[in-house]
Amino acid sequence: MNKVYCLFLLVLLGSCSDSELIGMKQISHGAQVYKTHCANCHQDDGSGLAQLIPPLKHSDYLKNHSNELACLIQNGMKGKITVNGSDYQLAMPAVNGLTKDELADVCLYVLQKFPETPIQLSEAELHSQVDTCFKAK
Amino acid sequence: MKKLIPILFISFVGLLSSCSDEHNLPIYGNRETKEVMVDGKTVVDTIYATVPDFTFVNQDSFVVTQETVKGKIYIADFFFASCPTICPIMKKQMIRVYEKYKGNSNVLLLSHTIDPEHDTIALLKDYATRLGSDGKQWMFLTGDREAIYDMAAQGYYATAMPDSTEPGGYVHSGGFILVDTQRRVRGIYNGTSEDEVTHLMKDMDILLKENE
Repeated sequence: MNKVYCLFLLVLLGSCSDSELIGMKQISHGAQVYKTHCANCHQDDGSGLAQLIPPLKHSDYLKNHSNELACLIQNGMKGKITVNGSDYQLAMPAVNGLTKDELADVCLYVLQKFPETPIQLSEAELHSQVDTCFKAK
Repeated sequence: MKKLIPILFISFVGLLSSCSDEHNLPIYGNRETKEVMVDGKTVVDTIYATVPDFTFVNQDSFVVTQETVKGKIYIADFFFASCPTICPIMKKQMIRVYEKYKGNSNVLLLSHTIDPEHDTIALLKDYATRLGSDGKQWMFLTGDREAIYDMAAQGYYATAMPDSTEPGGYVHSGGFILVDTQRRVRGIYNGTSEDEVTHLMKDMDILLKENE
């Protein structure tokens, strides 16, 4: 039975391309970064906190600003925003001390996990965003 | 031996059922004894530590003192609105407590800001409203910075102070402090832990029964 199981796993792993495996590794790393730096406020499930901290889950704001996500995380944000019809105005602090890889991976995770339909950014797009944010800082 | 097993099992179940969730809650702090006269006899009375008198202002600019909590049990905690670390987790848990005891006139929740310069009354009002508080049973208090820090340390066995090495610039304990109707601290719970806050609510029920 164990042999059959191992064989099945091998076939399953073999069916993933290298790029898929790298992507899975990045998202899993991004999940750890999210847990450390984002989940306190936005919660593990991205639901936010009452009317104080906006949700990420199924957020129209996230969907419409996915190209700015890296910079929002890197620099923080201030001022009123509207998310799914509700206003929020608590400032979001900048997440200090992230490496470029950590920033890229947490963006991948957030855009994969929380929108109704996962938002795919190409490797080039993502790294261009991350580079821009690091330069701006 | 085989016949013994069912008997042992029944005894074990009996033993378990004799245990109950009901227990007396401890009373925190130093205590003193004092000799007093009762019906002409000298008896030893125990004096327990109590939360000192206080004067703070809530999110609606109303003054809140020891008179406000008189005859009620309450929970105290410390936070600051721009806190990016444990405060949102604590507030999520406090919402659970608030939802459970909403409308119970014997229960109050007092959240003290430790950043009174930033957390103005207007900001606290907005903060309270956004968390769903009615502002009467769950109040957000501010006041003199030193008075708040002293209250944390002396009244509630909690830490609250500026610390430039911490995210947000302050360090504070994440405790929910349970206080009885005589202003004695009866429990301190980790406000970031769902399990501990569930425990707190069980203890609140015990404390409410104590006063029936």
